[in-house]
Amino acid sequence: MTQADVRGSIEVAGRTITRGDIEDFLYAEADILDAWDYDGWFALFEEGARYEVPTTDYRGWSLHTGGSFVDDDYDLIKARVKRLKSRKAHAENPHSRTHRLISNVRLFPGEEEGTLRIRASFVAHRARDGQFDTYVGWYEHVVVPTDAGLKYRLRRTILGHEALPVGARLSFIL
Amino acid sequence: MSSEVSERVAEPMLVEDWERLTFRVNREAYRSPEIFARERVDVWLRTWLYLGHETEIPDVNDFKVRTIAGRPLIFCRDTEGQVRAWLNSCPHRGTVLCRETEGSQRRFQCFYHAWTFNNDGTVAAIPDDGAYEDIESLQKNMMLRAVPRLEIHEGYVFISFNPDVPPLLEHLGDAADYMTMIEQQHASGVTTLPGVQLYSVRGNWKLAVENAMDGYHFSPTHNTFVGYLRESGFAVTDDNQYAYNLGNGHSLLVLTGHGGRISMVWEPRFGEDERVRTEEHRAEMVERLGEERAHYIADESHILFVFPNLLLFDIEGLSIRQLEPVAPGHTDVRAWQLVPREEHPDSRALRMKTVVSFVGPGGLATPDDIEAYEAVQRGIEATRGAGDLDYSDMSRGMRDEVKGEQGRSIDEGAMRGFWRYWEEAVGGGLAVTGDRPASFLEGRDVR
Ligand code: FES
Ligand SMILES: [Fe+2]
Repeated sequence: MTQADVRGSIEVAGRTITRGDIEDFLYAEADILDAWDYDGWFALFEEGARYEVPTTDYRGWSLHTGGSFVDDDYDLIKARVKRLKSRKAHAENPHSRTHRLISNVRLFPGEEEGTLRIRASFVAHRARDGQFDTYVGWYEHVVVPTDAGLKYRLRRTILGHEALPVGARLSFIL
Repeated sequence: MSSEVSERVAEPMLVEDWERLTFRVNREAYRSPEIFARERVDVWLRTWLYLGHETEIPDVNDFKVRTIAGRPLIFCRDTEGQVRAWLNSCPHRGTVLCRETEGSQRRFQCFYHAWTFNNDGTVAAIPDDGAYEDIESLQKNMMLRAVPRLEIHEGYVFISFNPDVPPLLEHLGDAADYMTMIEQQHASGVTTLPGVQLYSVRGNWKLAVENAMDGYHFSPTHNTFVGYLRESGFAVTDDNQYAYNLGNGHSLLVLTGHGGRISMVWEPRFGEDERVRTEEHRAEMVERLGEERAHYIADESHILFVFPNLLLFDIEGLSIRQLEPVAPGHTDVRAWQLVPREEHPDSRALRMKTVVSFVGPGGLATPDDIEAYEAVQRGIEATRGAGDLDYSDMSRGMRDEVKGEQGRSIDEGAMRGFWRYWEEAVGGGLAVTGDRPASFLEGRDVR
């Protein structure tokens, strides 16, 4: 997704979406996640949306034909949210403290009518159990503008690591 | 080593009491650098180790770079098609020879002084070799260093740093057939896929082994995952699930109540089309393998541990997991998905989704496993140096063992078998009180 035709705004389904709109969307999501508002996070997805985290050896293949870290359809996103809200999600009980930085936001026309693609960089820090872990990578999302704001059709997190470092399991949303 | 360390390690590693029916493991085994160093020599450099699957390097000149037992290796298929394992170190002065993680190459060239080697190990070029006295013997002596032993069973490539290790099949013993059973699941055989889960945990490698052989933790630890299965219409049970010691440190859990398996055991979340495909596949298996063998392969989930670094999860789908101890409290884990070579694309997509929904550091269940054994690694610091208190209890199921009843998956018999074998290899003392029941090491024969 490293195209030269980066624009500050994009026309989608008769609307103008600016980079500022997308940045606001991503920053709001970061706040929602850092505040552990998982219902609020789930509301960012349109029905039938997906959440994907490919493995660190990812070369762009479909997650349906290779291994991955997260390959959630809408039902599994729902199950993941339900799980994370439970006190019995031991890997996140007590919750991690997380802190996200998002940058290098760019927009591209989506492949499907009425969608746009986002590419952005992130750094996420997680404190838990006296440990401090850092995750870095890129977002490659597909979003749709709706009357209720932007919604995810695909939320994809691509890690910049060669392997998940010690302690850095993906028990929370990245 | 400080005297404090040697004193602590002087306590027996295992305390087994057949009068009180208790089995205890010294917690130093998980955290002592001295024991870790001893394991390196007495386990990792002595026995067979899982290197990788043949299907990871399907074509001539394919290679992967991988560290096993702390040693950088090149796992490759040479130009003749032969599978090789080379020490990834230049014979000249020791530089890491191949600094890529994977690829396809006929030759490996060291960047330092540009010595070049063919992937069959022979020297291709030594620049300016006129400076050496006897170039022919130099070339011979400077061939790539092979890992002393390499043998393959059903596509699983094993190596040993010990030239005198007994043949692989002898080491695998009863575990070998369970690997064959996986290969037999599909007429087309199985293959590994890209998308390798590479991750590290803050825990001792033996805690990862225990966790895999521990059905007792399933309900409490995976409470949220069990809830998800129930909601999607599948009953989860601990009944009729057994644990077996297969000898040589290998062990097996036979599970029937932990959710469905793609193309083997259907459950509602897989959908109607998959039900039809599962039935067709099952009929094909009966035709090909006979009713009994098909039953053992299809109706049960298996978790197979092949001592010391291979775990095969034949559960939601097929996963290979490899353990690489880095330090007493640090283990690298690598997990590959194994799939039928030929499979309906919808089944494949369902398989990938279903497997990673459970397995791996981003799934709905494995993070809780990792949490559990990382918490053990932290918690056992509390009893450091506390003598008799510094032991973990693994007695569960010994009562049935003395009665001659088959150990259940929700007992700790498979762990006891692992630990006895480990103690034989590493030493440190096994204190036994009373008489062991004759039946306590029974395996399982489904051939
Ligand atoms: S160390 Fe490799 S060529 Fe000199
Ligand atoms: Fe588990």
